[in-house]
Order: sequence, then structure tokens, then C-alpha cells
Amino acid sequence: MSDPKKVLIIDDDPDFVNAVEALLQSSGYEVSAAVNGKEGLHLAKTQQPDLILLDVMMTERTEGFFTLQELRRTPGLTNTPVIVISSIYAEQPIFRVSPEAGWLPANLFLPKPVDPGRLLEEARRLMETAPAATGGRRDQ
Amino acid sequence: MKIRKIPKSNLDLFVSVLPAFGELYAPVRRGKGFAFDRPSRWSEVQISYPRTILPPKKFLLPPREVTFRFDAKDGFRSTLDEAAKPVVLFGVHPYDIFGLNILDRVFAQGKFKDPYYIARRQNTTIIGVDFEPDEKHFAYSMNAEFVDSGFDLFLSDIGDHYLVLVGTSRGDDIVVMSGCLMEEPTEDDFAEYKRRSSRHRAAYKSRVELGELPEIMEMEYHSKVWDELGELCLSCGSCSAVCPTCYCFDIGDELELGGVPGSRIRSWDSCLFKNHALVAGGENFRHSRASRIKYRFYHKQRGFVAEYGRPSCIGCGRCAECCPAGIDIIKVLETIRGEGNELRNGSTGATA
Repeated sequence: MSDPKKVLIIDDDPDFVNAVEALLQSSGYEVSAAVNGKEGLHLAKTQQPDLILLDVMMTERTEGFFTLQELRRTPGLTNTPVIVISSIYAEQPIFRVSPEAGWLPANLFLPKPVDPGRLLEEARRLMETAPAATGGRRDQ
Repeated sequence: MKIRKIPKSNLDLFVSVLPAFGELYAPVRRGKGFAFDRPSRWSEVQISYPRTILPPKKFLLPPREVTFRFDAKDGFRSTLDEAAKPVVLFGVHPYDIFGLNILDRVFAQGKFKDPYYIARRQNTTIIGVDFEPDEKHFAYSMNAEFVDSGFDLFLSDIGDHYLVLVGTSRGDDIVVMSGCLMEEPTEDDFAEYKRRSSRHRAAYKSRVELGELPEIMEMEYHSKVWDELGELCLSCGSCSAVCPTCYCFDIGDELELGGVPGSRIRSWDSCLFKNHALVAGGENFRHSRASRIKYRFYHKQRGFVAEYGRPSCIGCGRCAECCPAGIDIIKVLETIRGEGNELRNGSTGATA
């Protein structure tokens, strides 16, 4: 039997983390969590997850964007699938640059609140289509 | 020129989308100084800083670069593609943009064009920002306190907002992409820009008189000042390294073990280094420290004027800040003009 796939959640909202952690664990995934970008980068480097769920507004409101840039230039993580899950467009209505405009190097953007069924489906799809360290399809 | 404005409070959102145009570099703290580096979060970006330790030339003329690789079987392979990696430099001061424009004259507009420099320049997005001059800046005297070209966007502080000057079509692309964050400026904004522009010019504490300087340097070619300067100068080359417009380089081949494949390396050189003027046969026509630092002053303040119509110095103050012997270019030029007799500033020892 193969090892369970590893998912890293980087989010400062404990309620969100607990809920998503339970959801993913019930589907057989191994889950770890970090509360900010710095801790998330450290865990990503040491654990080499198969998928990263990344919040944007944490200690700083653009922290997730910068964290994503650093993930993408870290050897071994450049192609790790990342789903950005954020309410930034709802909370910062002045910010209307679409995640599909080519500036966000994530595989997918999902607005909060996220539908659990959709999240599980996208997580499974991205981990299946992204062989370890060889690249995931970016279809935001 | 298209002009917009952006609230300072939204600069973090604006900077977040810049990676669409290349890898983002911005001024961040580095020890006691500042350096252009990749910020890991917005709060690391220092929008107000006196000067960076190294100027942005390090992105266009890297301290060390492989220009091509070779081996006996396949011939040589150019690294030009590697030089063309898109980069965004955010927060570049106007005198440093002026410095890049001077490098353009040498590497991109001269008789011998440098494809590596040109590839990097074309793939580098420059977003400038204005600054408060400190006691070492004399960019106003060097006519480099303002630029009207060489940048894609330029941000000028007008209070709660930055006025955004669009310098290129790429700059316009950035504005279009982040358009929701931009606003139309008003007549009051323009009035504030003009007020601050006047205040900026008046804020320069250090000034250098450029009038007749080339002629005076001709007259002072045999001055004892150069010998005194040679006694002080350590020939460490720090001033060349931090200078936005020093561009001397050395070329050498490095062979891998086995001696067949290898690389051609271009790396920074300095006219202050003892072997800079060493030629075949062992002759060195700038053997003394005095002759080397004299050459540096003559090239920047005299020779460049003859070739390009202006000194290559842009008044950033980096050489005075980093010199371990405390040599201060402003004081040297005052002494040469007969208006002073000091060559050093009060403090000795690099602060950068």
C-alpha cells in the first residue's frame, strides 16, 4: 500500500484549518498546517507535500502572494500544486486583478468560503495530474 | 506622458501583481544598509531608503557571468538566453536610473553593442521612486536628480498617494493590469507634485560645482593632491564596485577538470586594482596607488565628458559612504578647484 498523499495548509484561521484538516484526513490524506508564510515555507521545504493550500491574508494582507513567489523559486517546490484559497477579493473590493491574468503562479484560485466537495475534487485532481516534482498543470 | 496616481495604502496590492512582468526585486534591509533583493513579504520592502549598497547595475552587468560555454566536441554555446530572464526592479531612485541610462550609452548605444547587457536591459522592468537626499547625495549637482526616460513607471510621493508617471508601453501594460488600483490625478495632485519637486531640489545639502571642472582638471593634472590621495587610498576597489557607472570588466576562461569543456567568464574589474594596467611583458603603466586613483577621477570627471558630453558620476554618494579610508569625492573636487583642502570626510570606515 502506498504512503498517503501529504497536504500542507498555510492559513492563520484555526477554524478553517481544523475544518479542512478533518475533511482531508477523512479522505485519507496526511495533513500538516502552518499559521503564516514563513512557517509554511519551512514545512514545505522539509515535508515536500504533494499539495499546498495557501491563504493570502495572514500576518500581512498580501503575505500569501509573496509566499507563493518564494515557493515557486524553491528547488523541489517549483511545480508542487498550489491552491490559493482566499477571501481577498471580497475583503479588498478595490483589488480586482483577476487571478487568471497571469500574475499568480498557482494552479487554482478558490474564493472563501470554499465548497468542501469542490475542494476535495480539485485536490484529488491536482495530485493525480502532478507527478512528484515534475510539474502540475496550471489551470486557474 | 500618461500619468495616474495610486494610494500609498494600496502599494502592497500593486506590488503583488508585478511578478507577472518578471522576478521581483526591491530595496530591503541588508545589515546596516539596503540592497535590491527578493522580498519574502511586503513589510520587508523599504520604499524610503537613502541608497542601496550596490546599484542596480548588478542586474545588467552581473559581478560575474558566464558568457558562453565551450568544449572540443560541440564548439561553444552562448548563455544569452539565460541573460534574458525577466526581472522587475521596484523602488529605483532617479539617479540610479540615470546611471543605467549612462551604461546604455556605453553598452547599448555605442559602436560596440553588448548583447548580454542589451538582453538584460530589455527584460528588466524599472519602477522608480523618488527619495529624500541625505548629506552624501549630490545628484542635483550632477543633473541626475530627475529622469525623464529609462524607467517603465516612476512613483512620486504627493502625500497620501504616489503620482505614477508611465514611461514605456510596458509601464502602460502594468497600469492597465493593475488599473483598478490606479486613480486619475487632479489639478491639486499636480500642484502638490510641483511643490514637492521644488522642495526636493532645495533639500540637497551637498553640492559640487561642475562649471569648468574638465578644464580645471587639465590644469591640475600634476597637482600634489593626487599623491596625497594615493597615500590615503587603499586601492581596495570598493568605490568602483558600488559605483552605478563603473563598468570595467575582465575576461577569462575557466576549464573544468580534464581540460576539455570550459566557460568564458566576465567579471567586474577595477582601475584601482594593481593588475588593471598590467600588460604583456610585465609592464604596469599605473603602478602606484596615486596614479590609479587619479586615473579613476580623470575617467569619471574628465574623460567621460570628452566621450559622452557629461561626467559619468551621478552623485549618489556611494563611494564616499563605502570608502574605508574616508575619501570623499565632494571634498576631493573642492580641493582640486582650490575651494578646500580636505580629501576625507569626518568618519573613516565603511558604513555600507
